[in-house]
Amino acid sequence: MKSSSWIYARRISQSLCLAVFLWLFLQTEYRGVDQLPYPVSLLFRIDPLAALADFLAPGPFGWQLLWPALVVLLLTLLFGRFFCGWVCPLGATLDGLGKLVGRGRRAYAPGWRRVKYYLLIALGTATFFGVQLLGLFDPLAIFLRSLTLAVYPAYNYGLNRVFDFFYEHQVPLLSALVKSAYPVFRDHLMAFYPPIFALSFFTLLIFVAIILLERIEHRFWCKNLCPLGGLLGLCARYALLQRTPQQLCSDCRECDSLCRSGAVRATGHLRSECLLCMDCTGFCPDERVHFAIRAGSRGHPGLDLQRRGILTAMAGGIMLVPAVRIGPVTHEQNPYLLRPPGAVPEEEFLQRCVRCAECMKVCIGRALQPALLEAGPVGLWTPLVVPRIGYCEYNCTLCGQVCPTGAIAPLKLPVKQKNIIGLAVIKKDRCLPYAKGIECLVCEEHCPTGEKAIILEERELLVDGGLRTLKFPRIVDRLCIGCGICETRCPVEGASAVRIINEGESRRKRPESLANPYG
Amino acid sequence: MMTCMDRRAFIRQSLRTALAVAATGGLPAIDLLALPAHAAAQPPLAVRKGADIPILVRETIGALGGMNRFVHQGDIVVIKPNIGWDRTVEMAANTHPDVVASLVNLCLEAGARQVRIFDRSCNDERRCYTRSGIRAAVEKIASERVSLEYVDPRAYQELAIHGGRTFDRWEFYRPAIEADRLINVPIAKHHSISGLTLGMKNLMGVLGGNRGRLHANIAESLTDMASVIHADLTVVDATRILVANGPQGGRIEDVRNPQTLIASPDIVAADAYAATLFNFAPEDIPTIVAAARRGLGVMDLKRMQMV
Repeated sequence: MKSSSWIYARRISQSLCLAVFLWLFLQTEYRGVDQLPYPVSLLFRIDPLAALADFLAPGPFGWQLLWPALVVLLLTLLFGRFFCGWVCPLGATLDGLGKLVGRGRRAYAPGWRRVKYYLLIALGTATFFGVQLLGLFDPLAIFLRSLTLAVYPAYNYGLNRVFDFFYEHQVPLLSALVKSAYPVFRDHLMAFYPPIFALSFFTLLIFVAIILLERIEHRFWCKNLCPLGGLLGLCARYALLQRTPQQLCSDCRECDSLCRSGAVRATGHLRSECLLCMDCTGFCPDERVHFAIRAGSRGHPGLDLQRRGILTAMAGGIMLVPAVRIGPVTHEQNPYLLRPPGAVPEEEFLQRCVRCAECMKVCIGRALQPALLEAGPVGLWTPLVVPRIGYCEYNCTLCGQVCPTGAIAPLKLPVKQKNIIGLAVIKKDRCLPYAKGIECLVCEEHCPTGEKAIILEERELLVDGGLRTLKFPRIVDRLCIGCGICETRCPVEGASAVRIINEGESRRKRPESLANPYG
Repeated sequence: MMTCMDRRAFIRQSLRTALAVAATGGLPAIDLLALPAHAAAQPPLAVRKGADIPILVRETIGALGGMNRFVHQGDIVVIKPNIGWDRTVEMAANTHPDVVASLVNLCLEAGARQVRIFDRSCNDERRCYTRSGIRAAVEKIASERVSLEYVDPRAYQELAIHGGRTFDRWEFYRPAIEADRLINVPIAKHHSISGLTLGMKNLMGVLGGNRGRLHANIAESLTDMASVIHADLTVVDATRILVANGPQGGRIEDVRNPQTLIASPDIVAADAYAATLFNFAPEDIPTIVAAARRGLGVMDLKRMQMV
């Protein structure tokens, strides 16, 4: 292979992987079959950080879902950080958008390279002690989360406005053209329901910030901050795929200024830093650079980590634990903290969830929304059921199907239909029959359990000085699963007159005999 | 069923005492007869029973004089079944797919240029269209003139309701308004507030806006809406009916199988007859009474022309 064709191969691989992940992203939606036909959360099944979160969470490791992540680690041991250069969709995005936002030329202070290792060590230590925040910095989670919560909604919004405009206004030629394109977009390239998410703007800001870091230095994020890059870098340290020449050549210093990851030094080739972008095979004026599998090597430039730094990072990770834990237990403080059906108990949930947003993408009824502080200081971006925005569809099991780390267990439909997300509670100061003497049944009508969990009881009520017979909704606790459709559909404007609280949720561990605390 | 019995008892009592009549907003049959009906004096009503649905549909519509009486060459026809719920056929929450498909076929035979089928569902539309079996039944017809469509959220239009008692305007789905013919195909079901959900209630599927607000005074609200949107033919699917836990159902115990189809150009007449399948008198159902009083149709079974 001609040396510069490696660059093309890398670019093709990046484009292909990005295309595959985007395609899987578009398939993360109900399309007429109850069981998703594609492994849509593949991105996280190959994610070693997701595997680490799963590994350190209580319970057995999810081999079945996460074995591809171990394959990635194994391949990294052999080939180095190929993942960063050839596969990672965030890396590809940064490479692709770098020119657009303007690219920093100079290498930023090399000391920053260590930050990603320290970040990994701190996060890993905290995870080991039960506070898992890997997902906040996992590049794959950042990528998919930004796509789900911000980019895709914005894209849908924009397209919808364009189609709306041409729907409402007749522009010669253009209107017919746009209208004929609409069905294709609607059925294949857009969301069925325009996605709406809390935290969209916040999520977008962070994504944009990471892209803007390109202005400081090409792949600033990957080289300096990415904890996944750090983990792969650790594995790549003794990779067998090696570069010749290993050091900077004495007659030419091009690599020193042109290598995007600053991996070529006078002391040797830093396999932990090399992203295998293969650019050096192209820009080397004498075409001296080659990569080949070779055991052993002359001279190892170390990782350049300082013991003091490692210890500080570990201490930081450990100190995170009490800082997070000394607050009140959030899901007892916040009765409206509702998790998707099949979610494991809250503490384990926070340890497993990598905030990848797959469940929020797939949720058929917009029920799942990212948390800001509702689930406590470490609950950022974890999925909440927010019934006033959307409800949990009775016959749907999609969120459990896409969760890569077992934070949401995949439930069979009959089990899911019995899974208690929470309990509906009627607010009698808002509910129309109770508060205003007006007849209403919308909650009862929509209640999906075969034997309805909301019943109407007829009583007489004194309204405006006269007796009126009215039907009053009442919740049957033993039947309610907290799907939230009553709260979504409640016709009262503003706050719903029926709200779901997390009382009695299935995932809470409690002695069998106390399953119903009120007997 | 207990609530139904209570309601009947309540209504009987209210008929006996004029005071209760006034307090409950007026349900009596007395002044009803005094009102001039704008609808046909003796609307035809076809009722047929049978297990083979395509034959049943053909016979019932045939008794009214055939689909040619309602659909003409080149018409754009909207068929509005109930596809409101994510439930399978045997749960009797949605119109039977074979009823829908048979009606589509009759429309095509009558020369319809286009047959459009839609409903603004309560559960996720994609799930409802699939699980109701209606998607499969319509696709099997495989005609370019037939389309099962999701409602287009952009196509609602606010219309004034002249003489509306509860609302003076509401958003209606334009394709339903603009169609040459509208065939209303409800399934007969139990419903907690309106007593039963039949043809009038099924028209809610072409309404936009916050439909929950209609329930505050459902009888008058539905009558307001039905005064704007006119169905040329109402076919009540009572092949299976839901007698409790409606309108969504979900328990096979609540389903009965009268294997009956009721059709009439008069929506009130069709609803009134359908009520009898549940052992109600038409005057037990406030929506039917309200519509008849406003002259939208005939609810007196004796004044219908059984064909």
